[in-house]
Amino acid sequence: MVETAGAALEAIGIVKRFGTLVAVDGVDLELARGEIHALCGENGAGKSTLARILAGALAPSAGRVASDGPVGLVHQHFELVDRLRVWENVVLGREPRRGLRLDAAAARERVRSLAREYALDVDPDAVVESLPVGIAQRVEILRELAREPSTLVLDEPTAVLAPREIDALFATLRSLAARGAAIMVITHKLQEVISHANRVTVMRGGRVVLRAATAETSLDAIARAMVGGDVPALATRRAVTPHAAFAARDLRAGDGAHALRGASFEVRGGEIVGIAGVEGNGQSALCDAIAGVVPYAGEMTLDGEPLRGNPGARTAAGVRTIPQDRQREALVLPWSIARNVALGDHTRPPLRRGWSLDRQACDALATEIVRRFDVRAASIRTSVAALSGGNQQKVVVGRALAHEPRVVIAYQPTRGIDVGAASLVQSRLIEARNAGAAVLLVSFELDELLAVADRILVLYRGAIAGEFAREGFDRARIGALMAGAA
Amino acid sequence: MSRRNAAIFAAVLLAIAAGAMALAGANPLAGFAALLRGALGGERQLSETLVQTTALLFPSLAVAFAFRAGLFNIGAEGQLIVGGLFAGLAGAALVAPGWIAIPVILLAGAAGGAFWGGIAGALRARFGGNEVIATLMLNIVAALLANYLVVGPFHAPAATGPETAELPVSSWLPVLIPGTRLTISLLLALALAGALSFMFARTVFGYALQAAGEAPQAAARAGIDLRRTALVALTLSGAIAGFGGATLVAGVLHRFNVALSPGYGFIAIAVALVGGLDPLWIVLAAFAFGILQSGSLTMQALAHVPKDVVGFVEGLAILGLSARRIANPREESA
Repeated sequence: MVETAGAALEAIGIVKRFGTLVAVDGVDLELARGEIHALCGENGAGKSTLARILAGALAPSAGRVASDGPVGLVHQHFELVDRLRVWENVVLGREPRRGLRLDAAAARERVRSLAREYALDVDPDAVVESLPVGIAQRVEILRELAREPSTLVLDEPTAVLAPREIDALFATLRSLAARGAAIMVITHKLQEVISHANRVTVMRGGRVVLRAATAETSLDAIARAMVGGDVPALATRRAVTPHAAFAARDLRAGDGAHALRGASFEVRGGEIVGIAGVEGNGQSALCDAIAGVVPYAGEMTLDGEPLRGNPGARTAAGVRTIPQDRQREALVLPWSIARNVALGDHTRPPLRRGWSLDRQACDALATEIVRRFDVRAASIRTSVAALSGGNQQKVVVGRALAHEPRVVIAYQPTRGIDVGAASLVQSRLIEARNAGAAVLLVSFELDELLAVADRILVLYRGAIAGEFAREGFDRARIGALMAGAA
Repeated sequence: MSRRNAAIFAAVLLAIAAGAMALAGANPLAGFAALLRGALGGERQLSETLVQTTALLFPSLAVAFAFRAGLFNIGAEGQLIVGGLFAGLAGAALVAPGWIAIPVILLAGAAGGAFWGGIAGALRARFGGNEVIATLMLNIVAALLANYLVVGPFHAPAATGPETAELPVSSWLPVLIPGTRLTISLLLALALAGALSFMFARTVFGYALQAAGEAPQAAARAGIDLRRTALVALTLSGAIAGFGGATLVAGVLHRFNVALSPGYGFIAIAVALVGGLDPLWIVLAAFAFGILQSGSLTMQALAHVPKDVVGFVEGLAILGLSARRIANPREESA
């Protein structure tokens, strides 16, 4: 890694088919030494598939990749052995040996010197499962650097990082690039692209639809290329007189690093309260406690009445949730849309009639949700397993908002869905707020909260670290609190 | 398993059966012909096949009921035996007109099966115990317990075998075709299949049961109590198997004997899976397995194919179908 000009990696005519699906459809790409190259696109555009092909983890159906050295790939979901120490993870598969034995001293020293060389501060003897995500990511990067790659590909590296950690990551990447490596970062956060990348490639439907130097393009142009048109505008936020609705006092749930350690707050009817924070700071425990699916301590009230009982009772009381994992926690995948929309309301009229489900009522509700949420499906009899992630999410959100909810708990409702679907989901949440619902929106994307929320609470290590009203939104200050600043 | 996969699986089994017959030194075509003749070749043969179909249908519906709730009940055999035992004891003790005695005997069987299935259900609901192991082990307990009781305390003084006293003739299930062993239990089994089919497709109870089976986390968030579901599903599944045991007692043997079931509760697993856990298809699958059961003796006599070939093929079917289930109980979907 001494040269700083020329191509480190060249991909020509890459095609990848999975059965009848063409995930990557004839992509040419050149990564130059010393550059940070952003790869953008909506979910399903083929970015991750392309990354795996570039790294040699997946064979292309057609086309070829030429590279002048190893290609490292840092995965979106870390592929580390949690129970092993940092140094063990880094040398895994390439362990220095002395005879038949692992040379632990040499391995540890190698990791220490790598960490020093790249200024990636990690304790080689720490056990990976005890590390915060930002540090675990450094381990994953170190592991790839140990192979001395000429190209490093990072798949959504910033998804789990606080703003400050993101800056540190890009500082590291810039210094790697300065030493002559080519860096490719897959991201859908366009602000990062503009701030940190030299060039950007946008994919849509498996093809490249835009290549540009970041200096010569704009956030808007990249977004339009990703969506293939204009990004739909959000619903208008109407003036609503907020009224007391949901309140939590000293709420505690879960245990270990991701526990909720005493949160008191209220969400008024007619307002969207955003929970800002890096993943793993108690958000899951918070939402699960309100939904009543985990044990918790503390009190919750709904319009002054105590909120108690099992998840069914809470649903009946008007507390609706959009869970984290739509495929496991929200949907019965083999079932049709019409059958899924009844889940949670199957015990009460209008969907229940005597001992039976009222098919007409279920069908009518499904038809209404499909229409209002623009669910792309052959019919309401289509199995939800056959829908795209975005359309599945629309069904989940549609169901949650269908019965004039009093409280809506939305956990990352736009995760992994395309920009159009995300904007629709956000608009429907705003409409629910306009109609008087109390909406609690958990998101790891500060931009989403800044756009949608009336108030933002920062959750850090299971406690509320700060509160901001819409007039006083301060991106830098919120970002600092997310990273643990006092 | 999809219908198409089921067809492929059946074809493979047929091929293996043909191979096994050839290995046993017989002509496979003659073997199949003798099998079909023995099962369908006349009124007597057909009625006997339907007796076997009925005997398989109850435990198969029991297995399907639990599977649809995501519970791998491989204890239908034990539940059937305990149900049969309850029915045999109630039937031998009860002196009453048939219209009272028969329902009481059948309900006693259902209660016995429910009790046995409920043990596994309670273990699962209360302690999170694995229902596969519980139901499997309870099979053994049931067989040994029944054996002890009919050799010991409840042994009929006049009987030579390990069995209870004979039921009064008025307590026998009415025969459908005079001169055969085919009783109204066939109609009860078909009615049950229809009722279960309706229950799964239409009722709130069936909806919640299947939601718990297909997507337990989503079901729990929708207010469906998974523990209660496990208890109820295994209890009712046991009740169906136990009811089947009672129909064997009141309809076929007219007493409880330790040889009540030649493994109906195990074959039922294959029947339920071949039928795609759909009660109406299970009726067809049970008929197909009934043909195997009743035709195998004729096959042995006429084509000199050991009847064990049938057991061998059934064993393979159970193994092949349940291995997938055990590895991933919730993999299949309706």
